[in-house]
Amino acid sequence: MNAPLVWLHEEALRMTHPVFKVVPERAKAIYVWDDGYFRQANYSLKRLIFIYETLCELPVDIIHGNTLDVIRELAPPALYIPATNNPLIVNIIASIEATVPVKVVEDEDFVVIKKPSEFDRFFQYWNKAKKTAFLHNGGINA
Amino acid sequence: MEVLQKQFDDRESLITHVKALAPWAEGERSYIQGGRQKADMKLANIDPIAYACTRNHGDGKITRLSPYIHHGILSLSEVRNHALTKCSEPVQITKFIQELAWRDFWQRILTTHPQWAWEDAEPYKTGFTPQDYADVLPEDIANGKTGVACIDAFIHELTATGYIHNHARMYLASYMVHFRRIKWQIGASWFLQHLLDGDIASNNLSWQWVASTLSHKPYIFNLENVDKYFNKLVDTSPLTNQILHASYETLQAILFPNVRTA
Repeated sequence: MNAPLVWLHEEALRMTHPVFKVVPERAKAIYVWDDGYFRQANYSLKRLIFIYETLCELPVDIIHGNTLDVIRELAPPALYIPATNNPLIVNIIASIEATVPVKVVEDEDFVVIKKPSEFDRFFQYWNKAKKTAFLHNGGINA
Repeated sequence: MEVLQKQFDDRESLITHVKALAPWAEGERSYIQGGRQKADMKLANIDPIAYACTRNHGDGKITRLSPYIHHGILSLSEVRNHALTKCSEPVQITKFIQELAWRDFWQRILTTHPQWAWEDAEPYKTGFTPQDYADVLPEDIANGKTGVACIDAFIHELTATGYIHNHARMYLASYMVHFRRIKWQIGASWFLQHLLDGDIASNNLSWQWVASTLSHKPYIFNLENVDKYFNKLVDTSPLTNQILHASYETLQAILFPNVRTA
């Protein structure tokens, strides 16, 4: 039986991301080098080089192909994905969810904010954020 | 299923490999390299106390950590924790923590309002409608040949290295949206193509802030301001930067003729 899988995307390229704390031990991590994604994002060569250099230091397989096709072929019983608000990646996640069970894992918080939706200007946010912004781990127990 | 190679003799071989994978990708390499090792080296060298008083200057003690933060190589919390070890009192690094907080703020705003990635959050406060702004990136801007010396210098740095100082980003954004009347979306997309730290939330919402679609007024600048922060780093002579050589009052009247001043 296939093992659970972590799909790392370009905004979560580290092994200390919380996704690795919730994933079963036997899970592998992959990165899909997706030409279609990069072309849609219209990245210049220097951006691609930066990402590739980062991937070379990580214990992940870099698989060349269309993300959805690769995930379908691997058919993991569960796919763990670091959370993102990048619309391109959000759309891919939505497509994957129709194929395999997905668990999206948030990154560690920078600060603790109650009622987070009550601001749209920085200083409204800062008045709440500054209470924990100067604390180790934002005052959150690791 | 093709698993790509990860071992290379040197950086040159890696770059050749990536070029072969993406022959369509524009431009060349940056001197800035990816990877956790490089990130750790940069993190070890930050000076969050000096950052407070020098960060606005082109040669200030900025960290250049943003490409590593954007790609999640470093977390914001990790950077903050490290900065706290470099001061005796947290208040000494308030500006540095605030800069990290700006990124967290933009992330939260985009998560709450995903449509703001590409749609105007609010009307322009410039006296113009969105239809008054151009939909294409002019060639002189793409090629760094606008004839405004400091702007061209910033463009060349952006396209060659994938990194420019935050102040330079604001100048370029303001120049494009307000001096050239180009839609902020065009500029934001162009930045995302080049910036190694190009992040939809921080980048696009900052463009909206400059444009005034996510702030109370448009952000503008003049040559005096560029000279104050980038003197000797770029050409700031009035002769080669004529369009920027004016007082804020004059620029306000020229750029926003439909806006009544109090």
